[in-house]
Amino acid sequence: MNKIFNSIDLIPEIQWVIAIILIILVFATVLFWIWNKLSPSKLVDEMQIRTRSWWIMCFIFLFASLINPVVTYIALGLLSFFTLREIYSLLNLREMDRSVLFFCYLCIPIQYYLAFKGYYTLFLIFIPVFMFIIIPFLLVLTGETKDIIRSMCILPTSLMLGIFGISHLALLINFPEMNSNGVSGKALLLFLIFITEANDIMQFVWGKIFGKHKILPNVSPNKTWEGFIGGVLSTTLIGYLMGFLTPLNPLQLILISSTIAILGFMGDAILSAVKRDFGVKDMSEAIPGHGGVLDRVDSLSTTASPFFHLIYFIIIM
Amino acid sequence: MKKIILIFIYTFFWRNFLRILIGLRYYNNKSLKNIKQFILIANHNSHMDTMAIMSAIPSRFIHRVHPIAARDFFGNNLFQRILMRYLVNATLIRRDREDPNRDPIDDMNKMLSKKRSLILFPEGTRGIPGLMSSFKAGLGYLVQNNPEIDVIPVYLNDVYKTLPKGKKLILPNNCSITFGEPIKFKSFEMADILDTAEKAILKLKNN
Repeated sequence: MNKIFNSIDLIPEIQWVIAIILIILVFATVLFWIWNKLSPSKLVDEMQIRTRSWWIMCFIFLFASLINPVVTYIALGLLSFFTLREIYSLLNLREMDRSVLFFCYLCIPIQYYLAFKGYYTLFLIFIPVFMFIIIPFLLVLTGETKDIIRSMCILPTSLMLGIFGISHLALLINFPEMNSNGVSGKALLLFLIFITEANDIMQFVWGKIFGKHKILPNVSPNKTWEGFIGGVLSTTLIGYLMGFLTPLNPLQLILISSTIAILGFMGDAILSAVKRDFGVKDMSEAIPGHGGVLDRVDSLSTTASPFFHLIYFIIIM
Repeated sequence: MKKIILIFIYTFFWRNFLRILIGLRYYNNKSLKNIKQFILIANHNSHMDTMAIMSAIPSRFIHRVHPIAARDFFGNNLFQRILMRYLVNATLIRRDREDPNRDPIDDMNKMLSKKRSLILFPEGTRGIPGLMSSFKAGLGYLVQNNPEIDVIPVYLNDVYKTLPKGKKLILPNNCSITFGEPIKFKSFEMADILDTAEKAILKLKNN
């Protein structure tokens, strides 16, 4: 037990972030509580449920990301697992694809093991190169060619969405070259997740308050130009203010935060379109108020790997 | 002793396994807590159905709940019969009626008179995935003989996808199990009982 807790070395910057997160949560809880007392409505009720879920998610996340790298890896692996399970539950795949699905799930421990060991190149090519060939071949081995192209396309894509993107979070905290340059991986992980989730919230808030002109009318009625532009601007500002977590200079910070904001929007839009195709509103009912796990991490799956590579590029340069 | 084994298997192992890895969600399973004796009826598509229902039953009286299984399918040899008796807590009944004096309904009645609860799949077999076939008459006889015992409908949504008929590999899939309120039978005619029971399960499906 001591060994676990000894590995928690909270640098002052991380302590600051924890304090900021707690302040935001308390503020939101009090705000919606008072709002509900003054003028109860359906929207406020939903916001209260969402805030409650945010409390739980923040505590799980802080616990998992700060206590011990091994715990972080297991937690992120579970996150990938839940994401894949949600996708496959909705897909109505052919019955013979079941044995291939087993190998898809098997990719999770392998990918996270590669991240844990820091095998950078192998980690990068495992899913986009190896699995891109192996999964279709396994499908061929099942011997049924009817509708095989659907499975061939869906399974590698689901691996990219559910494992490849999210596992970059794991690589972030355990990357030798970065840590030797005096960069704290945990701080970068906190920065990325904070900015991505802040972007989600900001786009939602700006869209709810000022939203008029729909940006993707056929995909998602909730996405507006006002929400998008307001979200990108405020996310860039938040990223600039949170810059003490990173080794970047102000210009790089602004560039990276606005990139994350735009990428987060893209991830959100991609999943919205997927859900529209499935004909569902939420992927599942795992998180009260938010929907499924994938509804929450959709933007992370697109921001994580670009963020990692941008940071890597900047630090190595 | 049997109770401890069953609690360990279902309340600890299967419940957590199903919830965390398979993705099963329990709805309204707390309502069982106040009912002493019941007959659970559910739609049936997979062997996982029994596991899902057993894992939802409160550990306090799990040793008094017996899934009904066909002896010709699950009790082919002694080892299988012991396994079914101690690990699944199942009651094996003879579907084949080799012995004309021994009616499987009597076996079930005997269990009920001993204050035991039963888990019954009125479709009789696992059937076509996702579709509910019509109910067998056995449920009707059971209700006619024991009108005072609560019949609780259970709907298993997508549980069969984790282990379809004829497959051996258990895979995760989001699914749910919903418990209803005890069915109130208006008349005890055979057709009415089966119809009411079927409608009760379908109502849970549409919720």
